[in-house]
Amino acid sequence: MLLFRSEAHITTWLAGRMGGATISITRLAELANAWWADRLAPSWRPRSRAENQAILDRLGLTDSFWNLG
Amino acid sequence: MDDLDVDLRNETYRQFVALGRAPSAREVAVSRGLAESEVRAGWARLHDGHALVLDPEGEILMLNPFAARPTRFRVETGDRSWFANCGWDAFGIGASLGVDSIIHADCADCAEPLRIPVRAGQPEDLSLVFHVLVPAKSWWQDIGFT
Repeated sequence: MLLFRSEAHITTWLAGRMGGATISITRLAELANAWWADRLAPSWRPRSRAENQAILDRLGLTDSFWNLG
Repeated sequence: MDDLDVDLRNETYRQFVALGRAPSAREVAVSRGLAESEVRAGWARLHDGHALVLDPEGEILMLNPFAARPTRFRVETGDRSWFANCGWDAFGIGASLGVDSIIHADCADCAEPLRIPVRAGQPEDLSLVFHVLVPAKSWWQDIGFT
């Protein structure tokens, strides 16, 4: 789960390997806010897999790569 | 994960933020009136439940989004500094603390340093991209690699 200057840098870094999923840093920030905002809350409870999947779905991360299984 | 383990998990996180480092099992045991062995057993259950990550010796390795060891992702929040486990977690530190942050990382390809101010949850530099190599269903098979 790495940061890159551009998609061209990802291509170079992969060096012919099969890549995974690329999202913009804006989408990453949205994902992090949704995923981690409750992490230090005294009321924190573990989320179910369906709840985690719903976060990904709401951000449009709906293809099979983002399926939590 | 029962209420006692949730309480143990929350206390471990609370101490991490208060201390700026991973607490020892003894420190958590003292604060909760538990035996150190009870804390270690609870941490092991939380590790199995993906609520934290232990190293092979049973010490705290990750309290996601926080990393207990230095990484290539450092996050400044005011006068404090943290390490994150990955690019996703780097944004998660400001989100979990509810504060603005500055992420210091590097391009995984060319190693050029990246300085990313994040205000109100939004990064200032919108040109960067994030790559996830491992499909979501396999993230926890090797969370360190993921």
